[in-house]
Amino acid sequence: MDVTNIIKNLIDPMGIPSFPLVFQFLLVLTFVIHILFVNLTVGSVFMSFFLSLKGNIYSKKLSTALIKVTPFFISMSILFGVAPLLFVQVIYDAFFYTASSLLGLYVILFIFSMMLGYTLIYISYFKKDKNEKLFKILTFISFTLFLFSGFVMHSISFLSVIPEKWMEIFTSSEPVNTSGSQLKYFQISRFLHFIIPSFINLGIFLMLYSEYYREREDMEKNYIEFVYKTGAKLSFYFIILQIIVGLWFLFDIPITFRFYLNPFLIVGKILSLILAFLLFKILKEGKIKGEIIALLALLILFFMSYSRESLRATYLSQFHYSIFDYKLNLDIGSTLLFLLTFIMGLIVISFLIYIPYKAGKTKGLYTSTDKELKWGKIAVSIMIIWLFVMVTLGIFITFNNIS
Amino acid sequence: MYPIFYFPYLTSGWIIAILATLHILPSHLVTSAMWFNVYIEWKAYKEKREELLEFVKKFTLLLLVFSYVFGSLSGVGIWFATMASSPRGISSLIHNYVWGWATEWVFFIIEVLGVFVYYYTFDKVDRRTHLIIGLIFAIGAWTTMVIIVGILSFMISTGKWIENGSFFYGFFNRNYFPHLILRTIFMFAVTALYATFISNFVRNEITKKEIIKKASLFGTLSIVLFFPTLYVYLNSIPLQSKEIYNLLVTPGLKIGFIIPILLVLIYFLLNLFTNFLTKLIPSLVMIIVIFFGIFVGERIREILRKPYLIPDYVYSNGIIAKDHKAKGVISDITKVKNGNGILEIFPFTPSELKNINENNILEAGKLVALIECSSCHSVEKAGVRPLKYYIDKMGFDSIETAMEFLDLMGENYIYMPPFLGNEMEKRALASFLISLRGSK
Repeated sequence: MDVTNIIKNLIDPMGIPSFPLVFQFLLVLTFVIHILFVNLTVGSVFMSFFLSLKGNIYSKKLSTALIKVTPFFISMSILFGVAPLLFVQVIYDAFFYTASSLLGLYVILFIFSMMLGYTLIYISYFKKDKNEKLFKILTFISFTLFLFSGFVMHSISFLSVIPEKWMEIFTSSEPVNTSGSQLKYFQISRFLHFIIPSFINLGIFLMLYSEYYREREDMEKNYIEFVYKTGAKLSFYFIILQIIVGLWFLFDIPITFRFYLNPFLIVGKILSLILAFLLFKILKEGKIKGEIIALLALLILFFMSYSRESLRATYLSQFHYSIFDYKLNLDIGSTLLFLLTFIMGLIVISFLIYIPYKAGKTKGLYTSTDKELKWGKIAVSIMIIWLFVMVTLGIFITFNNIS
Repeated sequence: MYPIFYFPYLTSGWIIAILATLHILPSHLVTSAMWFNVYIEWKAYKEKREELLEFVKKFTLLLLVFSYVFGSLSGVGIWFATMASSPRGISSLIHNYVWGWATEWVFFIIEVLGVFVYYYTFDKVDRRTHLIIGLIFAIGAWTTMVIIVGILSFMISTGKWIENGSFFYGFFNRNYFPHLILRTIFMFAVTALYATFISNFVRNEITKKEIIKKASLFGTLSIVLFFPTLYVYLNSIPLQSKEIYNLLVTPGLKIGFIIPILLVLIYFLLNLFTNFLTKLIPSLVMIIVIFFGIFVGERIREILRKPYLIPDYVYSNGIIAKDHKAKGVISDITKVKNGNGILEIFPFTPSELKNINENNILEAGKLVALIECSSCHSVEKAGVRPLKYYIDKMGFDSIETAMEFLDLMGENYIYMPPFLGNEMEKRALASFLISLRGSK
């Protein structure tokens, strides 16, 4: 069987319940948020370790602040990793499942490596003040485990776009190789291109962090300035490095793809240069609003993620695969269920983000305004209404199912 | 059919089972713990008893660290492990229930943000707002169960989905509500045990005793209601599952499920009247006891769906069992009936095994075993349900007797998928099975 036929054989015969573009857009959108938090996790663990090696008091203070926020970053990485993991299985099932099976052993190691890394972060957090040496060791091990986990994910993604190698791996021993241990294909440049933004994005986070707390009277001004400058420097140096690695990565992509002409990539690169220029200005002349920098970084992530999606499509088009050819078995009911729940979710989630945002800016106890309380009550009410509608629908359909 | 990832001795099924086991305790805790927490917090405010809040904070910290580290990672872990070891099964579920999972994900965001915001805004926002945050978190966490139970029930009973392919007809099958109610009731027993455990870290003795009494009352009611609900649940499973239940759910498994639950009930009843078993170690032991019970219960639930992953659609080995007209699916069984062999429709068959002969018959047989048997059976001589053990136990003395057995699979042995392949492939598999016989 040639590769194109193998792929045809693997695609799920059920088809998909909504248009491929919907899944593709959601895949990219949720991946942006996922990779942002993955970056913040990797960056904060490493910087927490690195700053703990330094003697000055602000470095130690920032190291503690970072390890405190890391569990939240990890949780968000997992939370926002669920959605792209779901959507990639819908439109790239043939590729993602095959790559996961062929690297099955690493998939299992990935799970335990993440669990161990996360656990060590909590131990580091609780031991920070009691045992500095242990803290340094644990954060470093944790960083290594997260890098390993990222490398496994990278290898699965890469193997999924080179189906011509699948048969070679599976038949590498007699009669077949079922060990899931043949990690032979990866691209260091591509992996680094995902990891280096950890420091750019963490730098931007630090700038936002210092701006957020600047208004609080109980915060030490010099410390806030230190955080801002550390963030700006980190972002600037690593964005320069990212531009160089980006070029290396471009050389690793087959020239026949003409990927350097990809519009998403070009916009992403232009925005990256603007960001580098703004960071340079910050280092030379002083402050630029953190929100502008953050917005720019988010736009870069979005365009780069879409260019990654285009690259995947280009790789797979060699085997006559396009998500737009996927069999459609439209299911309007379930599509609506998600979309309506998503809108409802935005109301609830924005409340959960807004209240701590306000509370963090206040010294002491924050009392919600009447409007905020009403918002909270609406959030509870719509969740109850959601449940009521589902149960009613459920009873009706259950009776139909039995009859 | 995908390339096979086979974990030596353990089988892929057990890899998933191990991760599922790791997932059970933290996930059952989160769905219910916040109802208890919000109740205690509300009581503390209403009766102006600040000391109760110490428990609420510590209980939430347990949720944050334990449930949202191991709970969420093992949950995602199950997905990853299934992708590697049972891709066709998870693919079939995803392509039907992607919007179900996406909907659950929205509530998962609410739940995870909820736990962080709830814990870190203690004493930082006013009490009414904090209670609202707690309530949002509680509803969000439980709603994830409302959704996932639909997909779990679908793996036991597919309703009219098999005829019309509709998401909701598969989701709200006859098993759904009994299953949801059963888990909802049971989750309070799990919460009550954790609450008893956490109460050991509360400094105020009066508060500690009060929490234990309240938790034990919650727990007792939960288990008392559990048994009639279990009866209703067992009556809601399809006929095929009932037959499997009678055939495969041994008295040992039933005892392994019921005894831990009864022990927990006795524990709660004792705690209502005495304090001698509420210390850290006994409460931890009881968590392990209920964990064992849940583990056995989940194993029984998995047995009930044999030989399928999705009833009447996909077998446990990932072979598509029946055509699905509404979705336009042609099954693997139909493809083989149309004259193909399993090694022909398996896209990753090495070219040298496409024509079976005297020289490669054992290797071809092993590949067929890997495709059709290895999701449940170890193909080594030891491990989980090793093929060798069954070959010796059934006393096969020739290739022909093994072939006769393969013919009966799916008919006389209804808990196993039928053998799929042509005569030569059947002979190859039988030869491989016989080659395992007797050796150490």
